[in-house]
Parts: sequence; structure tokens; C-alpha cells
Amino acid sequence: MKACFALLLAATLSPAADLSLLPEHARPDPFGAVVPADRSTGIQPARSLTLDAPRASYVSCHLLVSIPEGGAYRLTVTSPLATDLHREWFHYLPASKRYYPDALVPVASPYRSQLPEPGNHIPKQTVQSFWLDIWVPAGTSPGSHQVKATLESAGAPASVAIEVRVLKAVVPDSDPVVMDHNSYGTSWLAAQYPALAKKVGTGFYLSDEFFSLIHAYHRIFYEHRGVYHQLGYGHGGKVGPEFAPRLEGSGKTKRIADWTLYDKHFGPLLDGSAFAGTRRGPRPIPYVYLPVNPEWPASFLWWGEPGYEREFVNVMSGMEAHLRQKGWTRTKYELFFNHKKRYKAFHWDGDETRFPKDMSFYAEYARLMKLAIPSASPVQWLFRTDASWQMERQFKDLAGIINFWVCGGGMFGWYAENAPILKQRGDIVWTYGGTPTVDLPASHITTDLLRPWILGVDGFVRWQTVMPGPDPWFQFTGGGEGIVYPGDRFGINAPIPSIRLKLQRNASQDLALLDSFKSRVGAGTLRSEAARQFNGTPLEAWRSPRPKLADTNPEEWSNVTIDEAIPKDPRFEDKLDAAAWQRVRGYILKLTQEARP
Amino acid sequence: MKSAVILILVASPLMAQDPLATQLDAVAKVASVMVDGDVAHRIQTPRSAAALLEKNPRDPWAAADNYDVDHAAYTASKKTLIRLSRLCPSTCDVNLWMPVPASPRRIQIVIRNVNEMSQFWTWGVLHQEVPAEMARVLDTGARVTVSRRQGMISVLAPVRDSLGDIVGLVEVVSRAKPDPQENVL
Repeated sequence: MKACFALLLAATLSPAADLSLLPEHARPDPFGAVVPADRSTGIQPARSLTLDAPRASYVSCHLLVSIPEGGAYRLTVTSPLATDLHREWFHYLPASKRYYPDALVPVASPYRSQLPEPGNHIPKQTVQSFWLDIWVPAGTSPGSHQVKATLESAGAPASVAIEVRVLKAVVPDSDPVVMDHNSYGTSWLAAQYPALAKKVGTGFYLSDEFFSLIHAYHRIFYEHRGVYHQLGYGHGGKVGPEFAPRLEGSGKTKRIADWTLYDKHFGPLLDGSAFAGTRRGPRPIPYVYLPVNPEWPASFLWWGEPGYEREFVNVMSGMEAHLRQKGWTRTKYELFFNHKKRYKAFHWDGDETRFPKDMSFYAEYARLMKLAIPSASPVQWLFRTDASWQMERQFKDLAGIINFWVCGGGMFGWYAENAPILKQRGDIVWTYGGTPTVDLPASHITTDLLRPWILGVDGFVRWQTVMPGPDPWFQFTGGGEGIVYPGDRFGINAPIPSIRLKLQRNASQDLALLDSFKSRVGAGTLRSEAARQFNGTPLEAWRSPRPKLADTNPEEWSNVTIDEAIPKDPRFEDKLDAAAWQRVRGYILKLTQEARP
Repeated sequence: MKSAVILILVASPLMAQDPLATQLDAVAKVASVMVDGDVAHRIQTPRSAAALLEKNPRDPWAAADNYDVDHAAYTASKKTLIRLSRLCPSTCDVNLWMPVPASPRRIQIVIRNVNEMSQFWTWGVLHQEVPAEMARVLDTGARVTVSRRQGMISVLAPVRDSLGDIVGLVEVVSRAKPDPQENVL
């Protein structure tokens, strides 16, 4: 009643408002224009939109509430399909003095608020945009479905129509390119969730709320067709108590004493129950880091002595037995070293190994793991390394030792012919890199999906994805290390998604569908056409030619010489327009129409 | 005698108040005897040392990418530091610091340990200006007790080589309330 009164009152004071639509790749600013990075599309807000939707997928668009003079409003979405409505947060970037939308605050329909949006603090804001996800379950009847959004504010109501044309095609559940989202430890959670941490108090890091929060991070990435990795130890080998069983003893008496925190943390992830209630359904996480490092489970004090092997084998054998007995055998456990000697805690580089003398350690840890874990164990473990300087040499020298390669994305272009060779011997091959910032065109986030697929690579790691910066809300640096945001500010004890994450998810869906046509169309044809549609490039443009530098000693390289040896192609940078992925989607939709029932 | 007087002047007020400081001082005293300055001196490779102070605006990571150590010297020294840390009554680290030969006003942490505690290290830097407390240790051989950061105590003690020269120092460091999540990143 109170809200109705407020709306009636506003109606007498304010001029008419408007409601319009933009496709997903044309992001709006808080004044009704498309952001500069996406303007090359030439798209303007419209009153209707048609979205073609394969089944088992999302389709998305922006809803724009425009009230030039400001005032209260109510936005209502009605749909025969499930919808998720998010208010788009406009981040101020001091570097460019512009606003870009990215964080998505979940809201319920009908949604009531006013312009300017009180929390976002944008002077003279006239437009509030919303991200609308429409979920099309696998069992949806093909055909047209009408989604309507209505704006009530001062003056006459406004409405927009979205036609969802549900196709027969069903998006496969598995992805040809795993999009992985990396993070480090959990110490940042208390800082990003101050209200929750304060409410729980000193026991935060042992609380149910803490573990729920971790699981929420896994859930958000899973729901967006991604994977979440948390490295549980530091450069000095300190393991977070929730990342490993508690140990006791020393030498031959070293043993696992307590699984409580490990099981509370990983149990729901390893049996899949953490994902109950998600649209993709519960299933175990596909990958997880082991806490193994040079200081865990064996003390570095015994390195090179019998005690190191005894401590390592005792504990890892116990770990294998526990995981096996629990039935947590559908996840791949990664032996992975992240330390670098520049951080002064160990004497060899486990990450991005540069010096050949450091490579002997891999063989030793492989030996220890094989001693600890029976070859017939249903517990699957992988030996992963993140490779850059020496990757070509490592491919050869560490054959049979490393079977999970995560390679520097730029440099891998020099050696991309190795991808099928490595995969043929049973290895997994991913590449890694950063996350495009919000002020780049909307399509840039999809390059990290398409390039691995074109190169025949199995996955891509965004090396840091949960740190959007000290003040992402009002002094944003672009989000190069964050693709989700803490929900604490909005009273949500979970991460909230971003537009970039949504764009990535939608492209992942498309890619899964595209990949499913391999047997009919041929992988080469699909790749060539996808590349052509994306940015008008031939397949050769997606990898760097092998430079002369690659035939010299990597110990003599520098970042300058490496950078100079990776050609800059403007078709992937300045010239890449926001609509690039939409053209790929158009090609995929054409293929779905050509497909025989 | 001179160093003993300085030690009392510098360390006593804090040690008198804090039993933890007293305990760390005892470990630091042993560390001065046990850490081999000649071995410590050999930890960083000559090639790495030569690149340490190089500045290239186009490659700010050059020194870090070239950072390298002698495996044997490093391992022997680190094991000694770990043993020393086991003398502490509660969680502590024993870090090794060495002056940068080419720049006497700079010092670098050479070995850190599992808890990654230090009151002096700026995370990620290869070397830094010698703090006054460390300069005092290097100049006088005194042990110095420091409480710069709330809840943390360090005792700095000299490391000598076979000639009797002070070539570095150890930082025996602990904190009143260990943070299990800290430095897991």
C-alpha cells in the first residue's frame, strides 16, 4: 500500500519513463548509451528482441529502465520460462572516468527502486539496467515463448517483449574447453565479507557460514559452466587447516590425526552434494588441488633423507585410503607445486620452472606418489605443472611424470603442435592467462574459450578470479583479477556474478553445441568458420609462429624478448569488436537449423 | 663486552615484559652459533646476484626471473633454520637475511620458512633498504628484539663466517596469536 502510494505520488511529479532492451554484448552505461567498448556494434536500445535458444541453455539480455527526471519505479518480468533478474552495478573507473556495468546483484521480480539508484551513487543517473537470464531446460517444447517486462513509474506503463525461440538442439552437458577459475587460500574471505565475519565472530574460519561461503564460490562457477580451484597452501608451504587433514608425529610416526575440517570443506564438493538444487544438478567437482608441497606432508627438514619418504608415503597412503573409503573417486586430485624461489622459501621453482636443474624434483615427487598410491587405486591423481620458460623441454623431459600441463597462453602458441602429441599420450593440456577487464569489448572474454578450442587445448585457467580489487564499487581498476564479486554489500553471503561471467557462460554453451557438430561437419571446418566469423582470421592467426628465440637457451630470455617474439595482431586486440562472438553464435544457430532431426 | 651492553640496552625492556621475547632471544642466541655464514654466503648464485640490482623499465621482473640459488647451500641452511624453529615454545619462523654485496644499504631475505612470518619483509620484494634494527645487528653484533607489528616479536641475531665477520643475520619471529589462514596464498 505504501509503495503504491509512493508510485502514485511520483506520477504527479515526474514525466514518462521508458523501458528498452539491449542484446547481451551491448552493455549500457547509467545514462542510456552503450558503453564505448561496445559501441562498434552500432546497436541501439529497442522495445523488442528475439533470442534463439537451444535447449539446456540460458539466453540473456539487458533491460533498461530509463527515467530522465528520476523517481520511483517497479519492474516486473513475466515469463513461461524460469528467469533470473539481476540489477547491474555501474562501476566507476577513475582511470577513464567512465562507468561500466559488471557486478550483477540478484533481485526478485517485481523489483522496486528509484533513479538515481540509491546505493550506486551516480550523479544524474537516468538509466538503471538489469541483466535477464532466461533458462531453457532440456525438456522445453521447441517453439516460441513470450517473455514480457513491464515498467511502472510516473506516467503510462511501458513494456517490452522478448521472444524466445526454443530450438530442438540441446546443449551438451560437458564442455570441450574447461573454463577454470583459480584462487588462493581463504584469508580474503573475512575481508570481503566483513558483515558476515563480524556476525559470526572469532570462530569465523571454523564456522558453518565459512564453509557455506566456500561452497557458494564453487556453486557460482559450476552454475556458469566453470570450475573453481582453490590453492590451499602458501609459497612457504603453510597449509590452511581446512585444506588438509591435521597431521601429528614426526618421521616414522607421522600420521593423519584428524579429517574434520578437510571433510567439512571438501566432502560436499567431492560427493557433489554442494551442488544440490543447481540447474545443472549435483555432481562432484572434476578437479582439486592436493595440499602437497615441499613442506607438506613431509617436513622439509628431512628432504633427501629416509624420513622425508616415510612421512610423505605414510600420510599420502592414509589420504588415498580415506578418499577411497569415502567413495570420493570421481574427482582428479592434482599434485601441483606453486612455489617459486624468488619468494625465498624453497630452492627450486615449482611454478613456471626456468632452470633445468630444478626439474629433477618432479621425478622424485612422482616416485613418492607412486609409492604412496597403489596403481590400481580408484583415487585418480594427476601431476600438474604450470609451464612457461621451459615448456618445450619439459614436454619431452617430463614425459611420463607430468600428465597435466597448464601452459602460458602466449608462449604456448609457439609450441601448439605439441597439443595433440601430449593428448595422444594421455596428458591433459590447458593454457592459462588473465581475465579481460570490463573496459574491453564484450567479446574479449570469449577469446579465452575460442583460442584453446581452436588449438585443441582442453581448458583455460584464469589465474586469479575472486579479487576484484580494494574498492570495486566506486574506484574500480577493471577486474583483471576478479570475475565474481562479494555479495556482502548486498546482504548476500555468497559471491555474485558478473556480466563477464555470464558472457563467458553463454559462449561456453555455444561452444559445447558447436563442438557437437564435429562428427557431421568436421572439426577443421568448424574451427575455420568459427575463426572467420569471430574476427575474420585464418586458423594460422590463432597461434604465434615459432620464433628464433625458441631455439635459444630460455635462461637467457627476458620478458622483453618473449614479448617481442609474440606478434601483436590487432584483430585480437584493438580491432576485435564487441559482436565477434555473436557472429560465431549465428554460425552455430545456422548449423542447428541444418541438422537433421 | 661492548655488544653485551648494547644487547641489554636494546633488548631488555621488551624482554622484561614479554616471556615470548625472552624465549625467542634464547633461540636467536643459539642461531648465531649454528648458522654457518660461509654456507649462507654461497646460497645465491653469482649469476643471480649479478642480476639482482638490474633495472629494466621494460622488464620489471628481470631480477626475480633470474633469482637462483645453490641447492646444497640453501638446503643445508634451511634445515638448520627449521631445527632452530623447533626450539621455540610456540609457532615461530627463523628467517635468514643477507646484505646485498653490491649495495651495502640493501638487504635481502634469503630463506623464509613455513609460516612466512616476518616483521621486515615486504611481500614479494627481492631486496629492500636495511632497516635500522638490522643495521645495528650488522654493525655491532648485538641481538636486537623488535616489536614493530602488533602482536609480533622478532629477535635479530648476527650470522658470522669462519673469519668472524658478520655476513648476515637471522630473524627469529613469532606472534602472540597465530593466524592459521594468513599467508596461505
